[in-house]
Amino acid sequence: MMTMEGVVLKLPCFSQIVNPNSFSNRTPLKFRFNFSKSSVASLSVPAAAPVSLGHATRPDFQILHQNVYNGSKLVYLDNAATSQKPSAVIDTVNNYYKSYNSNVHRGIHFLSARATDEYEMARRKVASFVNASESSEIVFTRNATEAINLVAYSWGTSNLKAGDEIVVTIAEHHSAIVPWQILSEKTGAVLKFVSLTEDEVPDAKMLQDLLSTKTKLVVVHHVSNVLASVLPIKDIAQWAHDVGARILVDACQSVPHMVVDVQNLGVDFLVASSHKMCGPTGVGFLYGKSELLAAMPPFLGGGEMISDVFLDHSTYADPPSRFEAGTPAIGEAIGLGSAIDYLSQIGMQKIHDYEVELANYLYENLHTIPGVRIYGPTPSQTVHRAALCSFNVEGLHPTDIATFLDQQHGVAIRSGHHCAQPLHRYLGINASARASLYFYNTKEDVDDFIRALLDTIAFFTSFK
Amino acid sequence: MNSASAAGFRPPITSYPQPPNSSNLKPPRIIQYKPNHSNRNSAITTTRSIQISHRKHVTPPPTPLSVAEKLDILVAEFKSLPEPIDRVKRLIHYAGLLPEFDDSGRVEPNRVTGCTAQVWLTVAMDVNGLMRFRVDSDSEITKGFCYCLIWLLDGAAPGDVVEIRVDDLGEMNVGILPIRASSRVNTWHNVLLSMQRRTRGLIMETYDNNDRSSVSLLK
Repeated sequence: MMTMEGVVLKLPCFSQIVNPNSFSNRTPLKFRFNFSKSSVASLSVPAAAPVSLGHATRPDFQILHQNVYNGSKLVYLDNAATSQKPSAVIDTVNNYYKSYNSNVHRGIHFLSARATDEYEMARRKVASFVNASESSEIVFTRNATEAINLVAYSWGTSNLKAGDEIVVTIAEHHSAIVPWQILSEKTGAVLKFVSLTEDEVPDAKMLQDLLSTKTKLVVVHHVSNVLASVLPIKDIAQWAHDVGARILVDACQSVPHMVVDVQNLGVDFLVASSHKMCGPTGVGFLYGKSELLAAMPPFLGGGEMISDVFLDHSTYADPPSRFEAGTPAIGEAIGLGSAIDYLSQIGMQKIHDYEVELANYLYENLHTIPGVRIYGPTPSQTVHRAALCSFNVEGLHPTDIATFLDQQHGVAIRSGHHCAQPLHRYLGINASARASLYFYNTKEDVDDFIRALLDTIAFFTSFK
Repeated sequence: MNSASAAGFRPPITSYPQPPNSSNLKPPRIIQYKPNHSNRNSAITTTRSIQISHRKHVTPPPTPLSVAEKLDILVAEFKSLPEPIDRVKRLIHYAGLLPEFDDSGRVEPNRVTGCTAQVWLTVAMDVNGLMRFRVDSDSEITKGFCYCLIWLLDGAAPGDVVEIRVDDLGEMNVGILPIRASSRVNTWHNVLLSMQRRTRGLIMETYDNNDRSSVSLLK
């Protein structure tokens, strides 16, 4: 690994070596980046030295190049929890506060106009990234959880009644279960849960069978944050629409890792968070079809979301402003726009292809360790797993594993229930360990993790 | 791992309640601390060393350590282990010293929620009005943490239990996680708060049973 890193560190910043042709051009956007073929041509990498996407992008993530504790090199494998931010995103946020911090949609002065332009540009970038028809279909929220709650409180309370059914899988993140439980208590709607197949994948057939004219909403993840499985969203959306139901997709684990096209998938609502896709924390988004958003009442009351306020009533602004009460996370939204620029420069398909390779490498290596049980489907020609593995080691608690990996080896993984307690109960466990990768990880990171895990198992076994 | 030093903490009294014939509200505890000299920071000295300067003097009878004194000892103990692996080893050793936990206590009402591992806690007041805690976990490292908490607070007066502040533990830097981080998975934080909440509950229960004098337990 050191050899490879040594090579890469001599390269110019990644933003100079990407192929400009890989840039997404689904809608015309005014990007600040200028590429020239000459910068590509100026590279002096020997043709025989293949540089993986992970090696090529690592220089953009300064945070990854550090030692922790007693000098262990940091190996960051907790990307499903949050991703790291490239220098370009950090610079964008820094520049916002240094150069044009101002409230949006308020003042007529220079700074406010610029902040508003950049904020709305970020919205257009998000719209383009997920191929929404128009940018007004993108509502900025604090995070994906708030986006789901927005739909639950706004669309849910005005569209659901006692006896209506919401179909959810047991593999959903808590944030895609609890809002519907609260909504059920308020409206009398009923939650129906889809369990797993023998292959430990949410049972799409069972989901289809659960649908009826009583079904008003289907809530599913795109990629599971525990099982690493991928659901056939396009099919599920069609099935939902066939019975007159709406579909909301939790795309937190898919939007950062693959091409997600809301029009192609045919979904009604889709949520994702900035911080899992190289953007800042504090901002996420809701995609909602125009006609649905237009018919939805406000979620929170306050500034920005109104049209006119009288003492006895108010009229509300059109979407997306209707759902963005109060001063938004301006710098963070602009930072998200910058993250989308960065990801788009690489190309989401390229990111996905590389991550499939990493996912297989991780699974194959982890699988060979005796006593390790990996949850979710076995990868094959037809079954692709996301680049994460939730697992347990026989006789060891995942928290003990994660603690030792961190303390002794500088390997950062997650342990616990990953905000998916119903799924863990279904699997008959209380907790699991999870190693999750992103495009800036390398096979050497996986090797380091496997070595460290073997040492961890040997350490705890010696006490028995 | 230095087994001699690891034996420094003797396990707390392994059964409760205390023998009913004990008349002393704070009976002498058979807890000794032997610092680990093999790997100590020379700047740290134990607060429990007793020097006898004259033959006439006899070793005073062991007096129970106060919670504050125990806190100091824990701080010194873990400060003497700068290497993470040594702290992990120490915690795993303490996990092995954790008094046996009755299976009947492994029920949902005894769960300490919010930790990454499962933790069960039973709380009782003995006939002397002292708090008795037993705790268990499915994680070895968590059990090690819990042993330290048991050593600190098992047998303490209710007032001492409820008065200890989470911030006091924050000063300890005991164990392996940076305690100052207010993490939702911080075992110290969650188990201590649970011990305190249930101690208060027991006191109020006693108070409600018309034993009004018991409120004095809270100081």
